[in-house]
Parts: sequence; C-alpha cells; structure tokens
Amino acid sequence: MASAHPINRKLQTEFAASLVLLAFVGVLPAFVTNAYWQGVVVVSMYFAMLAVAWNILAGYTGQFSLAPAAFGMIGAYTTGLLSYYYGLTAIVGVPAAIVVAGVIGLVLGRIVLRLRGPYLALTTLSFAEIMRLVISNSIDFTRGDLGLNVPGIFDSRLAYYYMMLAVLLAIQVGLFYLLRSRAGLYLRAIRDDEIAAASRGVLIVYWKTFAFTLSAAICGLAGALYGHFAQFVSPELGLLSQTGVVISMVVIGGLGTMVGPIGGALLVYVLSEFLRDFGNYQLVVFAFLVIIFARFFREGLWGLLLAAFGRPGRPAAAATAAE
Amino acid sequence: MPCLAIDHVSKSFGGLKALDNASFSLEAGELVGLIGPNGSGKTTLLNILSGHLSCDSGTVRLDGKPITGLHPEALARRGVLRMFQLTRSFPRMSAFDNLLVTGCALGLTLPGAEKRALGLLEDLSLTRIMNLNAGQLSGGQQKLLEFGSCFMVPPRIALLDEPFAAVHPTLKEIMSGFIRRRHAEGQTFIVVSHDLPVIVELCPRSVCMNAGRVIADESTRAVLTDKVVIEAYLGEAAA
Amino acid sequence: MLTLDLLINGLVIGVFYALMAIGLSLIFGILKVVNFAHGEFYMVGAYAYTLSALSLGISPWLSLPFALLVGLLLGLVVERLLMRPLYSGYTSWGVMRDEYAVIVTFALSIFLINIVDKVVGPYAYKGPALINISRITIGPVAISGHRLVAALLAVAIIVVVALIIRYTFWGRQIQAVSQNRLGASLAGIDTAKASAIVFSLAGGLAAVSGALLANIFNPTPDVGVFPAIKSYVIVVLGGMGSVPGSIIASIILGVLESFGGVYISYQYRDTFGLFILVLFLLFRPQGLFGEKAREV
Repeated sequence: MASAHPINRKLQTEFAASLVLLAFVGVLPAFVTNAYWQGVVVVSMYFAMLAVAWNILAGYTGQFSLAPAAFGMIGAYTTGLLSYYYGLTAIVGVPAAIVVAGVIGLVLGRIVLRLRGPYLALTTLSFAEIMRLVISNSIDFTRGDLGLNVPGIFDSRLAYYYMMLAVLLAIQVGLFYLLRSRAGLYLRAIRDDEIAAASRGVLIVYWKTFAFTLSAAICGLAGALYGHFAQFVSPELGLLSQTGVVISMVVIGGLGTMVGPIGGALLVYVLSEFLRDFGNYQLVVFAFLVIIFARFFREGLWGLLLAAFGRPGRPAAAATAAE
Repeated sequence: MPCLAIDHVSKSFGGLKALDNASFSLEAGELVGLIGPNGSGKTTLLNILSGHLSCDSGTVRLDGKPITGLHPEALARRGVLRMFQLTRSFPRMSAFDNLLVTGCALGLTLPGAEKRALGLLEDLSLTRIMNLNAGQLSGGQQKLLEFGSCFMVPPRIALLDEPFAAVHPTLKEIMSGFIRRRHAEGQTFIVVSHDLPVIVELCPRSVCMNAGRVIADESTRAVLTDKVVIEAYLGEAAA
Repeated sequence: MLTLDLLINGLVIGVFYALMAIGLSLIFGILKVVNFAHGEFYMVGAYAYTLSALSLGISPWLSLPFALLVGLLLGLVVERLLMRPLYSGYTSWGVMRDEYAVIVTFALSIFLINIVDKVVGPYAYKGPALINISRITIGPVAISGHRLVAALLAVAIIVVVALIIRYTFWGRQIQAVSQNRLGASLAGIDTAKASAIVFSLAGGLAAVSGALLANIFNPTPDVGVFPAIKSYVIVVLGGMGSVPGSIIASIILGVLESFGGVYISYQYRDTFGLFILVLFLLFRPQGLFGEKAREV
C-alpha cells in the first residue's frame, strides 16, 4: 500500500519527527525527577491530545471549530459524574467519556454540516459556551463552579505520565494510518474544495461527520484522563480561553502537520509554566505568537524548521495561484 | 433506451428563465457538442445534470432511471462526472493525489487508483509535475488535471464545460486527442464549448441552445448552417 | 408598572447593543468576516472612558470622545496590520481566508483581554456616570439619569451613522465595496481605504458602547465577552451585513432578555441569545434581513 510518492514521504517525515518527540518525552523523567515538572509534562500531553484532535478537524478537514476544550470538559465530567453518583472507576469512566463526547460530537457535526468559516466558528462557540454555562449553573447536579472530585487511577505520578504518553502514541499511530488511507485523501479534499470533492464522489456528509466525531471523541478521552490525573474537574476546563490555548499550540507548532500539534503543545505549555514565574504573561505571549504565525508563518515552527534545513524538492509553502 | 434523456427541463432564477422546456437525449457512446450564445442556459443545464442545481420541472433520466434531484456525490457514483468552467481542484494536494481522490471515492482501492493515476498522468503528459501541489500548476495544467480526474473511473457520461477555454494549443491537442481515443472506446461525452472549430472536429452531433431552449439538434455540420442557429449567434440580419 | 419598566429597560439595553452590532455588521458586509475581537473594542472603550475620567480627573463628557478616538484608532491599526491579507492577494492561507480571520481575531481577542489584565489589573473599576441624577421620572417610568442620557446619545450616534452610510460619499463607497469588491475597485474606489474606514468606525462604535455602559457594567478585562456574543446573535438575527437589521434585532434581543430574565430564568438569560443564534444559523442563516449566506 505504501508508495513512495511525496504525500506519504511528507507524512512519514512528520510522523517520524513526532515519534522522536514522544521518545524524548519518554526518557525525560530520567533527567527531570522533580514531580512538579513531571506533572507539567503530563498536563501538556492532555493539551497535546486536544491539539491533535483539533488539528484533525481544522488542519486536515478544514473545519475550524471553537469547541475542543468544551469536549474535553464533557469527557472529564462524564467520568467525574459517573464516579460521583455511581462510584464507577476509570475503567468504565474513560470509555464512557469517549462515547459520550463522540456521540455529542456526531450530533453537533451533523448539525453544522452546511456551515463554513465564521458561521461554523460562531455555532461551535455558542455550543461550547452553552455547555459550559449549563454545567456551571447546574449546581445541584454538577456542583457547578465548585467542581467535582475525581478518583485517581495510580499512586505514582510516573504511572500517569506513561499512561498519557502511551495513549498519545496510540492516537498518533492511528492518525498516521488514517491519513495514509483513502480517508486521509477525502478529508484533505474536503478541506481544499468541498464542492469539487462532492462532484468527484466524496461523501461529504459522512466524512465531515466522521472528522467531527473522531475529534470530539479524542477530546473526551483526553479530558477524562486529565480528570483522573488532576483528580478534579471544573467548568473552567471548557473556557473559550482554553480553546484559544489549544488553537495557539496547533498554529504555532504547524497547522495541518502530524508533528505540529504535539510539538506546539509541549512547547507552549512548558514555556507557559516558565513564564508563570515571571508573572502570568502566558496568554498574552501565546496569543501574540498566534497572530504573528498566522500572519507571517502559516506553516508554523515545523515549517520554519524545514525551511531552515532546506529540504530539497519539497513543494514550496502552500501558495495557490487560483482563488 | 437512451443513455441520457433530458425531458422538458425548466429552471428560473427569480424572474429570469434560464431553461425553458429543454429536451434532448443521448445514446451511449455519443460525443455531443452543446453550443449556443452566452446566457443560453448551457451551464445551467450542466449544473442540473451534475446535481449542483435542482430544476423547477422536467426530468432527467440516466439509463432509464430518473436522476433529477440527486446530490453531486450520488451522481458521481452513478458515473456522471463533470468538469467545471472555472477549474476546481485541490490546491494543497499533489496532482497525483488529486487524481487519487476521485479514483478512491468512486470505488477503486488505493493501489488500483495509484496505478490508474500513473497511467492517466502519462496519457495527459503530466507525469513531470505529478508531485507538485495542484495550486502550483499553471491554469492549463490544472484544467488538464481536472479533465483527467473525470476519467479515473470511466464515467457513464463525461460532462465537459468549456474544456478548451483559455488553454494553450498544445494542451488543447492533448485533451482532444484523449477525447477522441476514449470516444473510440465507447465513452459518452457532452462537450460545452464556444470553440466551434474544435466542436466541428470532435463532435459528430451538436445541440444548440438559445434563451433556455434547444433550437437545433442534428449533425454538427447541419447545426452550423442552420438558419435559426446563425440567427441566435449573430442576429436576424446575418441569417 | 413592571411590564413597562421591563420594556423600557429592554429598549435601552437594545440601543446599546445596537451600537456594537452595527460595527460588526458593517465589518461583515465589507470584509465578509466576523470580527471575534469585537468585544475587546468594547472593553478598550470602557477602560479608556473610565480610566481617563478617574485618573486624569477630567469630566466624563470629555472621556467619551476620548474613548471614541481610542476605538477608532484601534480599529484602524488592527485593519492595517491584520486584515490586509484578506484581500491583498496574500496567498499563504489561500482559500482559507475565513479561517485566517477566525484565528487571527480570536487570538487578538485573547491577546487584548490578557494584556489589559496585566497592564491595568483584573479588578473592576466603576465607570463614571455622565450625569449624576440617579433617578429621573418620565410619566410612569423611572430611569437612572445616566442611562437616559447614554441611551439618547446612542440613538443620536446610530442615526448619524445610518445617515452617513446612506447618503454621504464615503457611505456610498462602503456600500459599493460591500456589494461587489471587485466591481467597486474597477470603478475606481479605493477598497483598502473603505475597509479601513469601516473597521475603524466599527472600533469606535464598539468603544463608545463600552464607554456608555461602563457605569452599568463595570469594566473588567473580560467585560466585552458577553456583549460580543450578544452582538454575534444580533448580527445573525438581523442579517449579516444589514445595518437596519442589526438595529431591529438589537431591540428585539434587549427586550427579550429583559423579559426573559424575569419570567424565564435570570441565571440563563445570557444563553437565550446563544440558542437563538444556533437556531438561526441552522435554519435561516441570512437572518431576518440579510444577504443570503455566502455559498462557496
């Protein structure tokens, strides 16, 4: 199945780079023994999953949703509420979170099928805010802004660390095979020109819904895992600013690449922890960086890296002649 | 049973009647030219045939089965494939991938589609640029690529909307050569074009439209000397 | 009488919403994008008004035009630096210009919220009132002096803007560019200038809205978030790109929230708008009066 033609080469390069990154994260605890900083990396892996999920939807299918953090929150609350009311552990909670988030994602995806650009952004933004407000205001059911306590899974922090890493790795591998398959072709075709894709026989409804569902399910999974790690969930998980962080990670890392979201998430989150010592400027810096990158460096850090090492024969940064 | 039967199709946009009881039919394997002055309804008709517009009244039948109202995806899967007047391609995907999309969407496996695509690229002399993104190709190359996409899986009927417009003579040659070869193998075509010499060369039969109606439907030579047709193009005085 | 009070309250709030929504609508009309940082223009105006009055000790009546100026300037700068690529042939985002606009304005919103948070601090100030009469009675209705004056000013501004758009030279250029950018440029209109004027004007209007409401909704860094969401609702409800539509929709929303907050749910009053937004986006995206939702 694998041919040597360039999209596979591009994917392979990006995938390999992401594996290198994940391997680096894997050996990091040998050098970074401070539990706090290990925790920082764990949280950054939560964001990395959200970023990967959002990238599938926006970078590869062209659907710029503003709801990834909301789905993370939905996943976290699914597992949290199941344990709060029924005493169910993560074994049930996490798969349930995937299913609940996925189903809601499927419904939302079907609803927003005909919307593009700002209309899609507005609808998903409204959805995200409504979800957050409902959870926040349903004090009797969810304890509102007080949040929920969630049971942990392991005793050692490192166990969480490697669990997150394993899940992230699994997601990446799955994504790699997805993008190399026919599905990858369809998603990118929809991103590039939906009308042309339809007239060539691509089932638009099916694949857009698929992308939405998959993205939401991954976000739900990430949220549930995070909930068990932090042992606490609150509506703040679904704030629009959290979505802003996710978007900034992907844009800075490299939108539409396999390595951008992960690299961006690790970089942005770890950096934000450093910046925290200098007084909470994280969001200012990252929002600023997003603007700069979106305006001048569409290919993100990954693109800059490739340009710096001058890959010969690589198609020039996406420049379109026709509009 | 005709391959394609267009039966009293009408379409209005607000007050403007773009199609007025247009009717004609095609047998399988025909290569028909669709001509007519600007605004005669050719593209509207094509849009209806490919599912991008719905008609107000009338039916369209493919091999006897009605296809009016089906979405473009469904029509593509039934073998109605179309080229757009303003070239549409997938700019951030390579030319090769552009072809693969159609092939896979219409049922080929990935390896099968890859083989097909390589063959098509060869036929269209596009092998040289196969790994460039479609957005980086020249206008003519993009047009050729879109043209090629229609043939990844031999369509039941290929709808070509102004394939020769603004195209380099060399590419024009490649396209018409390709059309002729495929036609000889039995491929059905409708070619919309203003380029009358090419229509004369390629299409044994032509349908001429004006103001939403079919005003002539016979052999191309006959159509071009038909008084009604000349009148439509040049006005009464010339006829 | 409660109903009349609620009605007046709703109308007044609606008028303020209209100030913000008109700008958003104009931006959509001319650039075909939604400005996700619109709430922050409101916020900046609120702060400019409040801080200039409080720390410089000048009269609120001077702070108001100052806030307007700040808004105009901010709008201009944002348009020049960030919105140019939408129409100047910048091809890096290619056909995804809408998505570029979403990302850039969304990021701008977060940037502005947080930089104000750092520079000025997260604590709420109280915007000074334009006049210090806390209660004016007109017939059966009682209203605070500031609200009355602010509402009247808002109405005056809206009327002026509507007249400008409709009857002046610049207004007609803006209309032309909104309807057909390419055609307008072929006709010799400086489309870049028209876009800059619109964005600047929108910024100014939102800023004034923030300033006028500073006395009612105390300026905090994220004070603009909910008004922005309301504006999106209004602009979609009234029809993207339709100024009269925005005005009417603003009034409707203001009144709806006023009554809904008392009769349905105070807690969820901010979500009514969101539900309306989603419903319209799904079933009637052109709103009540707008242009048809753009096909690709």
